Amino acid sequence: MSQPLLKVVNLKKHFPVRGGMFSRVLAKVKAVDGVSFELGKQRTLGLVGESGCGKSTLGRTVLRLHEPTAGQIFLDGDDICTLDREALKQRRRDMQIIYQDPYASLSPRRLIGQTIQEPLDVHKIGTPEERKKRVEELLDIVGLRKQVLSRYPHEFSGGQRQRIGIARALALNPSFIVADEPVSALDVSVQSQVLNVISRLQREHGIAFLFISHDLAVIQHVSDDVGVMYLGKLVEYSDSGSLYRDPKHPYTRALMSAIPIPDVRQRAKRIVLAGDIPSPMNPPSGCPFHTRCAEAMPKCSQVVPPRVNAGSAEKPHYVSCHLFDGSPESPA
Amino acid sequence: MTDEVAKTLLCVRNLVVEFDTRFGPVRAVDDISFDIFPNETVGIVGESGCGKTVTGLSLLRLVPSPPGRIVQGSIILNGNDLVQLPENDMAQLRGDDISMIFQEPMTALNPVLSLGTQMTDVLRQHRKMTKREARNVAIDMLEKVGIPVPEKRIDEYPHELSGGMRQRVMIAMALSCNPKLLVADEPTTALDVTTQAQVLEQIVELQEEFHMAVILITHDLGVIAETCQRAIVMYCGNIVETGTVEDLFQRPRHPYTKGLLESIPRLRDERIAELPIIPGMVPDLLSLPAGCRFADRCKYAQADCLQTPPRLESSGDAGSGVACYHPLN
Amino acid sequence: MSAPTNAATSAATLPDEHHESIWGKAIYKLRRDRAGMVGFAIVMTYFIAASGVWLGIWGTHWSDVEGPKWSPMSSEFWFGTNIIGQDIFQRAIYSTKTAFEIGLVVAVLSTLIGAVLGALAGFFSGTWIDAIILWIKGVLDSIPFYLFVAAVAFALQDNPYAMHVAMISTFWTTTGRLVRGEVIKLRNFEFVEAAKAIGVPQITIIFRHILPNTFHILLVQATIVFVAAIKSEVILSFLGLGVQDGVSWGLMISESTLEVLAGYFNNFIWASVLLFGLVMAFNMFSDALQDALDPKKVAAP
Repeated sequence: MSQPLLKVVNLKKHFPVRGGMFSRVLAKVKAVDGVSFELGKQRTLGLVGESGCGKSTLGRTVLRLHEPTAGQIFLDGDDICTLDREALKQRRRDMQIIYQDPYASLSPRRLIGQTIQEPLDVHKIGTPEERKKRVEELLDIVGLRKQVLSRYPHEFSGGQRQRIGIARALALNPSFIVADEPVSALDVSVQSQVLNVISRLQREHGIAFLFISHDLAVIQHVSDDVGVMYLGKLVEYSDSGSLYRDPKHPYTRALMSAIPIPDVRQRAKRIVLAGDIPSPMNPPSGCPFHTRCAEAMPKCSQVVPPRVNAGSAEKPHYVSCHLFDGSPESPA
Repeated sequence: MTDEVAKTLLCVRNLVVEFDTRFGPVRAVDDISFDIFPNETVGIVGESGCGKTVTGLSLLRLVPSPPGRIVQGSIILNGNDLVQLPENDMAQLRGDDISMIFQEPMTALNPVLSLGTQMTDVLRQHRKMTKREARNVAIDMLEKVGIPVPEKRIDEYPHELSGGMRQRVMIAMALSCNPKLLVADEPTTALDVTTQAQVLEQIVELQEEFHMAVILITHDLGVIAETCQRAIVMYCGNIVETGTVEDLFQRPRHPYTKGLLESIPRLRDERIAELPIIPGMVPDLLSLPAGCRFADRCKYAQADCLQTPPRLESSGDAGSGVACYHPLN
Repeated sequence: MSAPTNAATSAATLPDEHHESIWGKAIYKLRRDRAGMVGFAIVMTYFIAASGVWLGIWGTHWSDVEGPKWSPMSSEFWFGTNIIGQDIFQRAIYSTKTAFEIGLVVAVLSTLIGAVLGALAGFFSGTWIDAIILWIKGVLDSIPFYLFVAAVAFALQDNPYAMHVAMISTFWTTTGRLVRGEVIKLRNFEFVEAAKAIGVPQITIIFRHILPNTFHILLVQATIVFVAAIKSEVILSFLGLGVQDGVSWGLMISESTLEVLAGYFNNFIWASVLLFGLVMAFNMFSDALQDALDPKKVAAP
């Protein structure tokens, strides 16, 4: 089997909380606490979870925008955690990011043309004329007119700014893009427009995506594989079809039942979770979800559940839950 | 007609709210009329800029002025026209007969005052009570909204609570004087999906217990489907369609409603390549077209749609209507 | 294929008519602020006077002994003459040039230094760079201003720019502190991280992406420093540490202390009136500018 584009092994990102007279480390926010997954070439992995689950931190750590606390990140077989600054700058051409907030992700005092062209300038790609041509190509791909180049970000709507952000991310021809909640801040009718732009990038340009969102419907639309995160851990991970047809982890099932469905005929039976999401500074012992889980057993508060393959060898469906401990397949 | 007026709780007629901008005045709400009946939950749904929040604020006369002002129209609650009421009288009504909760509970609650102080302030403003009595009522309310150990938590500060809890506290404050009408402006948008489910359930339960009407302002059609009986769809300052939630979702008559329903990403059995979209963008309020404001994005537009804007025509059932020359279905 | 048409039509309408430049809204609000506009007009009048002096059109006879001492105001000597017999009007007009020179030089340079050091301190907040800059700022803020100036004047003996150096070295700290705060805030915005993700070097991020977003602060601070410089010059001239070659309102006032005892007020009055006029007008303009640049404040009806 060919090598995956991105392979993440036991990645951790902990943020120290400092205080006291000598800025001692008082506690650690375990934003990402031992996550492993693979992203195949031209595939999209959807990462879903609620606030505090660490999905945004994971997206940024994979790009080394945060320095990992532990773990390895293999891009095309090379461990990027070991690269020095110059080599990392070169590798950045392969991996880019688009952001959630269209109002904070574009430099307010720079013209759109300058913003989109900047990646080409920084890496000194082509002649200035070639760069201008490339910028115009990018505008075409995302569906914007040339006139936008001489304007400032504040003159555009959220949807247009997101397209500009996408154009900027495409400039260096990356093989994969981390999309951090790219449509969550947009109006409903604009969301579908921007999602279609992303779909086109997947189909026509073969770009792999790490697509982060809290919206299960959006994730289903764009993803080949899906990972569900809770308090820094990946609790379920499988291909998209299996996850939606047969969600196994109790958290995944609760999440799916909580989505308000815009269809009057299906007022779903809600699994309402008790309590609030615990703080990532003080995660519960054993399985992080046991404090809210209707099916918790005594074992759940004591032992961290191992990742188990509850699917098959060809179509793995990984779950980290003691309800599935007796599964025959062992993790890859 | 007088029969209906007697039955309605809130009667809004021809409301126009203008804002001053450097390019001239802009009508955020342009001649809207609707009724709210007692004990019902009505959703006002639309996207940014459609005027739904300004409508909600107008009902409590909270539109920031300057730059905004109500230029025309009437808002009749219990026989009083809220637009004409002097500010002192309006302040009496707010929190008592009509209450509002907002999207961002952190900024709506005062971070330097304890929850107890904020809640007892509201109570003692509108009812004759001693501090102790008010505190007891407040603890009671906190319990009703599902805050565990309310006697302890009442002395805590907003930052000590999670987003979902803060929102519940805000609901408790809004309901403490038993208003007849609650206006909820995007109350769950800033919350996680699982917390959202909890808070919405709470609102539905409380509505039944307190016998009040709720106006739920949101952009999320899923929330409307789950909690409302009727809904009002707004676009660009106008009401384009109203009706029961069943009718709206299964037989939408306005092309915008239909387009919106089709373009929302939803869980499907099969993955589709491209989502249907509503092409184009919401028009600039400063340069509105002569005819229907949705015409340039509408697949079904015809010549007459471009001449004059269509008026909201009601059909048979009270509270149903559509503003379209060629409605679907 | 439907996809390109879909995408193209979705972005079809760009707001052409209501194209709003970055400063457009601020200028609109500024123009409606009556006090600010009056202040601006007055400042412009002074500026024209100063330019005239600089170009040699008027005020050139400020040091000539033209008339009898203490002659009263007349058509020949509009403001009268001083104790030596110099034309007070000429001296007063010449002083506008001095005032603008000090004001502009100190304002521009201290704002520049404050911007650069503030940006570095803010971006590298928490590291040794920030610590050093904060320490320097703290030291400078703790030294009483006039003591510091005296020390600098002594060290740079007879250098006509001693006063400027002293003022610039202390006035940059406020700007620096404000810029540092703003940069710490801006540093967390996603467009900064986006630049990092592209591989833009840190210094470029600071000066190309972050600092331009502090211009509203820099502009207002510059106007405040302008006024502070002019006012400080008055006191420095009293102490003999002010303008060495040329004349300024401060010098005129300082000279007039003897004259006033003898009962001749022209020198004192005219220098004070002109000084007060410029400072007041500039303050009004500066307040209006601050309101105009504040995105939350609404324009006057």
